[in-house]
Parts: sequence; structure tokens; C-alpha cells
Amino acid sequence: MTNELEDVMASHDVPADPSRRRLLAGLLTAYTASLIPWALAQPAPHADRGAFTALSAILVGRQALDATQTARLYDALVADDAHFPADVQTLLTLINQRQIDPQQLQNVLDTEHSPLAKLPRKIVGAWYLGVVGSDEAARCIVYETALNAVVVADVLKPPTYAYGTYASWANKPI
Amino acid sequence: MSEQLSADIVVIGSGIVGSLAARRLALQGASVLILEAGPRLDRGRVVAAFRNSPIKGNWMSPYPPSPWAPHPIYVPKDNGYLKQAGPYPYPAEYIRAVGGTTWHWAAMAWRLVPNDVRIKSLYGVGVDWPMSYEELDPWYQEAEELIGVAGAPDTGSPRNQPFPMEPVAEPWSMRRFRERLAPAYAVVANTVARNSRSYGGRPACVGNNSCQPICPVNAQYLGINAVEAAEVAGAKVVPNAVVYRIEHDAKGRIAAVHYYDPDKGTHRVTGKTFILAANGIESPKLLLLSASDKYPNGLANSSDMVGRHLMDHPSTSITFYADEELWLGRGPQSPSSINTLRDGAFRSEHAPYRLDFTNISQVLSVTQDLIKEGVYGTEFDKQLRWRAAHQVSVKNVLEVLPDPDNRITLSSEKDAMGIPKPEAHYSIGDYTRRAAEVSKADFARIAELMGGTGLRYSAEGNFANNQHITGTMSMGNDPKSSVVDGFGRTHDHENLFICSTGVMPTAATMNSTLTGIALALRTAGHILPKPANAHAAVSNAEREASLS
Repeated sequence: MTNELEDVMASHDVPADPSRRRLLAGLLTAYTASLIPWALAQPAPHADRGAFTALSAILVGRQALDATQTARLYDALVADDAHFPADVQTLLTLINQRQIDPQQLQNVLDTEHSPLAKLPRKIVGAWYLGVVGSDEAARCIVYETALNAVVVADVLKPPTYAYGTYASWANKPI
Repeated sequence: MSEQLSADIVVIGSGIVGSLAARRLALQGASVLILEAGPRLDRGRVVAAFRNSPIKGNWMSPYPPSPWAPHPIYVPKDNGYLKQAGPYPYPAEYIRAVGGTTWHWAAMAWRLVPNDVRIKSLYGVGVDWPMSYEELDPWYQEAEELIGVAGAPDTGSPRNQPFPMEPVAEPWSMRRFRERLAPAYAVVANTVARNSRSYGGRPACVGNNSCQPICPVNAQYLGINAVEAAEVAGAKVVPNAVVYRIEHDAKGRIAAVHYYDPDKGTHRVTGKTFILAANGIESPKLLLLSASDKYPNGLANSSDMVGRHLMDHPSTSITFYADEELWLGRGPQSPSSINTLRDGAFRSEHAPYRLDFTNISQVLSVTQDLIKEGVYGTEFDKQLRWRAAHQVSVKNVLEVLPDPDNRITLSSEKDAMGIPKPEAHYSIGDYTRRAAEVSKADFARIAELMGGTGLRYSAEGNFANNQHITGTMSMGNDPKSSVVDGFGRTHDHENLFICSTGVMPTAATMNSTLTGIALALRTAGHILPKPANAHAAVSNAEREASLS
């Protein structure tokens, strides 16, 4: 398969083998489905990516995630940590079973000294900063479409991109 | 030895200061050779490197050091180039590349205030400069017209000629500071080398908000612009030429300099006049490295003052949430300041300071804060928007007095080329610390006037550094207490001049670059005097260029 074809397929989250097609609904309970109702009918190429998509949506409070970006971040997170898929499945199961409010999640994990305590920050950091890995192993996967740029895109441009014509910044922002 | 180079004027270092001196001398008809330790960079690649950097809050990340000409890096980990002898850390940052450190700067192009050059006489602290502010005025003007400075008249620095450009348009956030802090504080536009209209063949600012680490559109004057101007004037630049020794003759005149290429091949460059312009750390390092039997303490160092009197501008700060949406990040990064505390009778008791408002987008820092706090779900977006709209920060820029114990020396450690690394000995004195304490009242008042909540002062005793390296080769009239005279000529070597912010005898409260350039132009004018109307001639040329 060419790289281009892989990209196209990834961008639509279509599995290479349609018989392996899954819907995220199968990975969720009624509680988590209520957090991300859009996801119920979303396809995922495999359970691991599906779990990542679902957990990402819960953690970043989104009803939709760009499939290409999901694939790129997932691949980078797996490359950074081989245990990442299993950890994601475990955390999603935990949230499914115990119906943990995303607002309370970090507190719960910290209080219980969970080995998964670092996982939410890794995922949220990947989505909002576009960065995967830490210290010298850190890599920038996305910049302009990192969620922290998207969230403020109606007011600000990512640094290095022109705000507008000269003096356009003198006006009231909103 | 593969080749022999020679020129009338040999300049060591291709930063904005040395390159503009080189340009002036080349225009006068001298053959000029600029030796630069680092490589030539490409603006587009620097922009791409920043966009691809995982550590965008660190403005050195798009400027990795080259193995043959390392510079200090601290993030993600200290590369150990600038050794720290303490007691207080001095984590200076600079860039060894063609164009030097002003590849990334805020383009603040401040003049001194007149009393800055007389603090010993007026306030009994520090030292006086060997010149008056009035003597500097025409050189400031020449520098401002060369690099294209936009500024407001009410900053405390008088002038005989108008600024080349009107102030850069005020961002909404700064307008609100100005309106709400009046009359308690006068918030005025910063004096900057940033175009408020087309000037010098470069465009007006379009608000990329990445002045540091890189202006992508060439609206902000950078050292590389100075290099290119020097080349147009006829100067030749040799990149990747790591000067490791300055050679003198029996009479103490400089005969040559020696450099390594990246493969450690050696080259000898002869000349009539030599200008050392390799910044306030690398320049004294090179003078100390060049010790000989005749000059066992290093060149230009009969006073033992080379490397001493290291100064910079430490800062403390406050960050808070204003009670209205200001959305920092629209327009340039450093638009406005409060200048009224830069001088006064209090200077006999504590340091003066400038209060500086940032307009750097807060999006990155508040995202990092929210991640650290473990905020997830729909709350993240809400918090991110609210904080990015409301979070503001103000810092002081504090004067440091010259102290001979604050100094750059040679480390026992060597870099990859076998050249000793520089070592910083630094502390922040009570004069500066008292001012930091005093300025807390200003921080509190500013926060109050902006309806501030969530006030966060920088940690007690912690000072951020501003990379304004000054003092290490101070100028003065007395050869026993200074390294160069008032024209930048070393007291010890007739044909060795220093062009650097390192010749500034005191640090005052302004970013040092413009003063460094003005002094360098004055030095160049001393080496090769121009006709009496030289300043006007340069101004007219720049005006014509700005209209083209």
C-alpha cells in the first residue's frame, strides 16, 4: 500500500479489512456514550484506535475529532510508548465501569495512586499542544490544528502567522 | 594553513553591532572582512523549525548550536556550554550564527535616559560614562535611521531629530492598559526596530506575534539585515570561522587573528585594524584566550577588567487575570511600557526600572497550566478561552550596578574544538533587590486598576534574565579601571577596537542593542571619520531607501 493510500484510509478511519470494521459504540457504556453521543456510530479501524478516539473525545470534551489528526496522534503516542494502547483500554474501561466525571478523573487517579495517572495528560497534551513525548524525546506532531489553536481561532492566529493587515490588532477583539 | 585572508578592517563577529560598524567602514572605502564562528541561517528554515518545535516556549529551540561554535542551551536540558560558578545563576542566551543574537529579539531599540551616563556624579552609585548623552544623540539617530526605529516622543530620552517612523499601532490590550492606568501610570508605545510602514525595503508589521523567536516577514530589523547591508557595502563575511586567538606584534599592535574551520583547519587573517564584536561573553573569552608572554593576563587586560562588571537586566513579574477580555497575542509581542521609573533621586537608594507589558499570546502558557491542573472535558475549552482572553503579565527591567566580582572567566572545561568554555560568576546585589521589592507596589497597583484576580507574583528571590549582556569590556577614560576608551579603542592595543554592548559601563534600564549600535557607529566614525554632515548623508540614503 502506498503512503498516500494509507493516509486516505486513515483520514476516513476505514479499516483495510471491512470485516474488522468496528463502531465505537461497542467500546462504550451508557455513561460514556452519554458524554460523547456522536461517537456511537463512528467507525474505528481497530479496537485500540477506537478506544483512543473515545477516550480522547471524553478528555477533550469534543463531539467530533478529525480522523486524520486522531490517527497521527495515536501513531505518535504508540511510537512513544508501546504500552499506550493497553493503558488506553484500561482507562476507558475504568471510566466506563465507575462512571468517572472527566472533571474528577485526575483527582481520582492521583488519590488512588493509579499507574494510569500520567495518561490523561499525555492524551490531552497531544491534542491541545500537538506535542507527544517529553524532554528530549518530545516531538511536535501538529501545530496549526492543535486544539489550543482551534479553540481561539476566531480571535488569534498561531504565532508566526500574520494576524492581519497593519494595525488590524488595534480594534476590540470580539 | 590553507589560505591567508587579509583586509583593512577585520571584524570578529557578525551580529547587528559589528555588522553595522563594518557597513559604515566599507562605505568609507575600507576593505572589510567579517569572521563569524557560526553558520549562515535561512529565515524560512528558522520559521519552520519553530513551527515544528515541541518546546515553543523556548525561543532558542529554532537555533540549535553548531558543534564547532556552541552557544548556551538550557531546554530541554543544559548543554553545559556556559559554566555557572554562582552564587546566582546567569543563564545567558545568545546565538552564534551569521547575524548573531538579534535573529530573535523583541526589537526594543531604546535610548538611555540622559542621567544614565552620570549615575556616579548624580546618585553616588556605579560609574559615569566617558561621554554625555548629547554626544550620543547623533549616533543614536544614525542607528535609528539605519535599522528603522518607530517610537513615541514621551519616553524620557530627548532627541534632536524625529523618529524615522511613527509608533507601531497600539494593540487593543495595550490601549486598555493605557486608559485604565492613567493618570497613575503613563503607558507609552515602546521604541522598536519594527516597521510601522514600509521602510528600508521591508514591509510594515502584520502582527505575526512571533517577534521572538523569529519575524517571518522581515518587518522587524534583525542582525541578518545588518549583515546583508554590510555585504552590499562591500564587506565580506566568512561563516564558520571560529576565532580562537588574537595575535599581537612586539609593539603590542594586533597583527592577525587565527580561526578554526569546522574541520579544525587553521587560518590566519591579517589586517590593519581589528574590531572585536563577538558579544559580551565571547569577546572577553577571546581576549583572555589570547594571553601571551607579553600579555599573560590576556589582551586588552592590563587593568584586569576584561570580563568583569558583567551586567544584565534581571526581572520579576506579576501575572493576573484582568476583569475584561484583552486577548494578548494580537499584534507585536512587546508594544508598551511605563518609563517614569527609569530615573529619579531614588537611584541613590535602589535601582531604577522600566515596567514592561507583554503582548505575547497567552494560549501556550494557559494550555500548559490547564494540563498541569488536570482540567478535562468540556471545561478545558471554556477555561482556555477565558484565561487566554484575560491573562496578562507585567515585568520590571531592573538596573544592575557594575561589580567587578560579576564576571566572565575561562572555564577549565573545553568545547568540541578544544577551546575553553566561558564561565559566569554572578550575583544580584541589594541595590537591584531593593528595587524588585519596591516594584511590587507597582505590580499590585496595576493589578488593582485592571480589576485583577488570581494575582501571581514571580517566586521570591527568583529573577528572570533578559539577555542584555553588558559591562564585560567597559569603556572609560582611566586605563586602570576600564578596557576601552570612549571611542571603543582598547587602552592596550592601538589598532584593536571593541564594538559590543559589553563596552557599556552601566546597564541602565533599557535593552542594550541600540546603544551598542550607536557606540559602534561612533567607533567606526572614529576609525574612519566622515565629512561633517555624515549623519545627514546616511539619513537621506535611508529615507530614499524607505521610499523605494
